[in-house]
Amino acid sequence: MATERKIPDLFNYAMFCGGCGHGVLVRLICECLEELGQQKNTIAAIGVGCSCHLKSAINCDLVQSPHGRAAAVATGIRRAEPDKFVFTYQGDGDAYNIGLSETLNAAYRNENLCIFVVNNSNFGMTGGQMSWTTMPGQKTATSPRGRDTSKTGEPIKIPEMIAYSFKPAYVARGAVITPAEINKLKGYIKNAMEAQLNHEGFSMVEIMSTCPTNWGMNPMIAEKHMIEEVIPYYALGELKKRGE
Amino acid sequence: MGDMTKGNIAIAEAAVRAGVEVFAGYPITPSTEVMEYLSTRMDDVGRTFIQAESELAAINMIMGVSACGRRALTVSSGPGISLKQEGISYMNQWEFPAVILNVVRWGNGLGSLHGSQTDYLRETRGGGNGDYRNIVLCPSTIQESVDLMYQAFDLAEEYRNIVVVMTDSGIGQMMEPCEMPEFKEIKKCDWGLDGTYKKKRGDFLDRNIIQESNDYVAKLQKMRENEQRWEEIETKDAEYVFVAFGTCGRVMSGLVQELRKKGEKIGLIRPITAWPFPEKAFTQLKKENKNIKGFITVETNGEGQMVEDVAIYAKKCGFGNLPIYCLPYVCGVPKDKQIMNDFNEIKLGNKKEVF
Amino acid sequence: MKELVFAGFGGQGVLTAGLIISQIALYKGYNATWMPAYGAAMRGGTANCTVKYGEGMIYNPGQQEPDLLLAMNTPSLKKFAEIVKPGGTILVNADMVEASELSIREDVNIVPVHCNILADKANNPKGANIVMIGAISKLMGDFDHETGVAGMNDMFRKKGKNKFEAQNAAAFEAGYYAV
Repeated sequence: MATERKIPDLFNYAMFCGGCGHGVLVRLICECLEELGQQKNTIAAIGVGCSCHLKSAINCDLVQSPHGRAAAVATGIRRAEPDKFVFTYQGDGDAYNIGLSETLNAAYRNENLCIFVVNNSNFGMTGGQMSWTTMPGQKTATSPRGRDTSKTGEPIKIPEMIAYSFKPAYVARGAVITPAEINKLKGYIKNAMEAQLNHEGFSMVEIMSTCPTNWGMNPMIAEKHMIEEVIPYYALGELKKRGE
Repeated sequence: MGDMTKGNIAIAEAAVRAGVEVFAGYPITPSTEVMEYLSTRMDDVGRTFIQAESELAAINMIMGVSACGRRALTVSSGPGISLKQEGISYMNQWEFPAVILNVVRWGNGLGSLHGSQTDYLRETRGGGNGDYRNIVLCPSTIQESVDLMYQAFDLAEEYRNIVVVMTDSGIGQMMEPCEMPEFKEIKKCDWGLDGTYKKKRGDFLDRNIIQESNDYVAKLQKMRENEQRWEEIETKDAEYVFVAFGTCGRVMSGLVQELRKKGEKIGLIRPITAWPFPEKAFTQLKKENKNIKGFITVETNGEGQMVEDVAIYAKKCGFGNLPIYCLPYVCGVPKDKQIMNDFNEIKLGNKKEVF
Repeated sequence: MKELVFAGFGGQGVLTAGLIISQIALYKGYNATWMPAYGAAMRGGTANCTVKYGEGMIYNPGQQEPDLLLAMNTPSLKKFAEIVKPGGTILVNADMVEASELSIREDVNIVPVHCNILADKANNPKGANIVMIGAISKLMGDFDHETGVAGMNDMFRKKGKNKFEAQNAAAFEAGYYAV
């Protein structure tokens, strides 16, 4: 018989748009932190964008970083407080556009921290502009005629780059879609956290999320769109397993 | 008296003794010896040294350290300090204290490696977006570099504000004897994040910006009231009062005494804090000195930067339309002879006031 | 207060020579400053530094009007001869500067020393700069032989580089008695 999952104490409230994946993700992070006994031992560095809402969503210490710099801020926290659990919470625009350098360099150093990046294929907070993860042909506020990859590049796959080019502890991509995928995603998050707690080094989980508001779709259609159009490009699963 | 010590090394060791726990930085001449020295020194005393991928990353690493209530330092020069401005603005917003050493080099953009005072206005006006000011300490000798760096972390933590120590290539690269202070005890600030979420955040969107601004302004006023520092030489009956800081301040300290012996009625105000500017020196001077014919700044930049502050505070302190002159020497260490010649030109009326 | 300028090619040890003189000055109880030339000249070409020593605070550490110039090569001699104080001294590396160059100024004392040859003789082939430190100590008249050697050795000892003490003392002595 199905039982109701307890809402974690760490979870405050979600002020995200209807159908957005952020809320589910924050709850998964809170559940994992509590299951690993880190609820009173965690300091986060958060990005700028919809990830800012983590301030209201979670009851833990965090630092609001400048746009794109969360991985550098988290590095400082990590070095200052070696015994705390440290993670970043960022969007794709924050971590892969303006923060590409800080994200890659933290991975390059194999910094012992977790990076959680919500990939909704656009800049959500500022009203749905093109990001480096925007799909070819996708219409956004700055690509109203559809993304022209001949001028703007192909959608970027940072987790693959980190997993295959550097020596991270753990890299995975999950999605906030079906209950089955959400359960898998929780496993990825927990693995990433355990990697840090075991001092294995850098871990990253990219979380595919819909953005119904900026995609101009209702949540059901947005989810269908993601499953049919986006996920085939951004393959889900573990790109670098622990101990591999 | 200690042994010959290079300015950059002395100031780095002073930071270690002041209790800096984490350093993050990126190499740039003429500040690099600081980071080279700390790369092993921090390790030797059980502290943390990070070579960051960029100046931008370095200042943000420092932000993370400071957020945890730990003493943090970053060091740079020229365009490197420009890159740090985003982080400095954020840190003042969140009241994360830290010390930033700017070993100033000449010029716009890439500039050059020569010692200079071209960053005065940027450092004293904040430099990034917003309404903040940094406390700016301007040593003129290696011993003073050590002493000010040693106090800088206490000041930063007292006000929870960024403190900039501003030297230049000259003070950073030269050597002279100096004494080192004792090691301070390392303490984590009680407000520092520790993972227990002891200080609850307010609602994300529920900010009272007027109140936030008023609180910060109250802090600025407190810093202005309490932290003005300067040194004064022979100002009480001076007809011309020189104003010079850092390398130029040091040169003028000697020259003013030498010219006094030759009968010149001159004095010197040497600001030790560029911000808060030593307004009190001017207030006091106005009460005591009825002979004054003008203020003269001596600076190593193109057309004078501090001269603007001297004009502002001379006016504020009641000197009316008293002429404010500037002798700018672009870079390096100004030569005594050149300054004496230019001072004569002022007295002869051949060199005009700036304000 | 005395001002000295040390100039030569990179690798001739002029920055170290300046530092040793300043450290000898401290050893004798004087104050001292040492300032390297800084800027584009840092890489390749000539290196130079300015040392000042004397009683009390040294306010202006910059290059102004040296009492003594050490010119370890011809470009340094040509570049800095004009700033030497009238009546001052130019100490020249006679192994690298042609005798015909030595008439560059009439109003200063120009002293050629074969510092490379003397260094070789002192069994210290890398010690040409130390030969010149001996010569400078004598020419300035501020440091006797014993003080100079003791101040120099004290500096190397503190850096943990005292195994060349005998050769350094020999090079110093060669320079000291060459002028």
